[in-house]
Amino acid sequence: MKLLSAISAALLLGALPFFTSSNYVIGVAISACIFTAAAAALNLVYGYTGLLSFAQLGFWGIGGYATALTVMTFAGSFWLGLVWAALIDTAIALAIGYPAVRTNRHAFVIVTLAFALLVTLVARDWVSLTRGPLGIPGLPAPNLFGFEFKTTPLFYWIAYGYALLALGLLYALCTSRIGRTLVAIKQNEPLVRAQGISPVPYKLAAFAVGAAITGVGGGIYAFHLKIIDPLFLDFYYMQTFLIIVITGGAGSYWGVIAAGLIMSTLPEVLRFSADFRMIVYGVVLLLAVLAMPGGVGGWLHERRLARARAGLT
Amino acid sequence: MTAVLQIDQLCKSFVGVQALAGVSFAIEEGSITGLIGPNGSGKSTTIDCVSGFQTIDSGRVLLSGKDITGRPPQAVARAGLMRTFQTVRLYERFSLRDNLTIAAQQFDAAGWVDELLRTARYRDAAAAAETRASELLGLVGLSRYVDADAGVLSYGQKKLLALAAALMPRPALVVLDEPVAGVNPTRIREVEDILRGLNSAGQTFLVIEHNVEFITNLCRRVIVLDQGRKLAEGTPAEVHRDARVLEAYLGLTPETSATEMQGAT
Repeated sequence: MKLLSAISAALLLGALPFFTSSNYVIGVAISACIFTAAAAALNLVYGYTGLLSFAQLGFWGIGGYATALTVMTFAGSFWLGLVWAALIDTAIALAIGYPAVRTNRHAFVIVTLAFALLVTLVARDWVSLTRGPLGIPGLPAPNLFGFEFKTTPLFYWIAYGYALLALGLLYALCTSRIGRTLVAIKQNEPLVRAQGISPVPYKLAAFAVGAAITGVGGGIYAFHLKIIDPLFLDFYYMQTFLIIVITGGAGSYWGVIAAGLIMSTLPEVLRFSADFRMIVYGVVLLLAVLAMPGGVGGWLHERRLARARAGLT
Repeated sequence: MTAVLQIDQLCKSFVGVQALAGVSFAIEEGSITGLIGPNGSGKSTTIDCVSGFQTIDSGRVLLSGKDITGRPPQAVARAGLMRTFQTVRLYERFSLRDNLTIAAQQFDAAGWVDELLRTARYRDAAAAAETRASELLGLVGLSRYVDADAGVLSYGQKKLLALAAALMPRPALVVLDEPVAGVNPTRIREVEDILRGLNSAGQTFLVIEHNVEFITNLCRRVIVLDQGRKLAEGTPAEVHRDARVLEAYLGLTPETSATEMQGAT
């Protein structure tokens, strides 16, 4: 049932360019696809495994720069750039994750936050590579066997395909025993160890997969903007991913996807009142969190629990 | 008789405190042994050291003949020692079924590729775990809650679920840390019967408890710790007669203890 409605929603979203010719609407849909997938990756790390990672922002930026530099400096293709984005982010995630996942949860937050800030500094100050604050403008339309994704509706297919692949991979992961083990680690790590399971490989794998998905998302988003500069590492992106995970319900696969689609379009829907839209957005956010402290997923879980309790007595 | 667990001269000190000062004992296969002692005598430190949750200063721990000294908890568990915790540990937001099946997953043949691709090997392992889980839930009398979250259970039921989880992979040794502390007295008998039944089916247990009556009824062999040393070892009756045990554990002098014991019997 859940899967069926998800498939019909996915088909409907996929057909979006046939319903509208507005580049603006499709542009919002591109952001929605990428932000939702990146938020779902954060959900794997934070929601499932319990590791509050601010490093996602760094992975996002590195993915963007890796893809842009592959194309502009090293004359590679956009697709090769995405591969580099995934590979570099995976390698960095393993390198900083290896010590970081062994620390306690508070230290992990600090380490990942420091990493994200460091990436911002590198993007701004390594001028010979990144051109610093000037950024790298004029990112060309991706090209596949001579076919150019030069219009916004065509570029939408890339973002849409990425979202499907990323969410599909995360679905396979989260609904398997691996996903259950990640949640178990979040709930009670000593018990997990007492049952013969080493938590470190699981945490590292979640961190690395989350990094790769975020990096590829960053690469695609940079080419949607057609320019990358240090503002690509603005905290706005991290905040968006985090808001999506929290309102969706940390650890809820479908809740986060629903929140991703809503939360990345809501600021646009509210554009009718240009002056007040961010205030309205804030109020909506606050009300949502007050009404559903566990997010959409938590709210659904509570209802299921209440039914189970009622059934017992 | 072969020893499932053998501990030699285990020493452990925390800052300024000698928690274990050379503890040695062996647990025989198929036995059910009690480990008792006053607060701070080193019972919990002993099993934390053995199960890998504490580092060991010196000494040696053998599990089924294999040296597990200083190994991390997950390695000790894989070697065949499953333990429960004094403050009960469960996955409160998992169903009872998941609480049990996850306890066995490290012990089956399915690797992460099988898990991701849901291969036949994974499905067989999952089905076997489900069967075992229903069996054990029946044994501890929690079958009707199989789909409920573990968090909704009462404290005593949680302890039973933790016991069932420890039994899931058919380990060589199950170590129970205070299985009936805080459990409704009328239910202690049930726990006793369950453990006795499992033991006669061949399961080896090491039980840490403050409840002397429970230990006396259940165990054929009792080890008494005091101030990080083994004070006595023997049948419950032998230990009860030991003057040093009575003094250390019950705070009785030999004269008063004689009358106390007569009153008790």
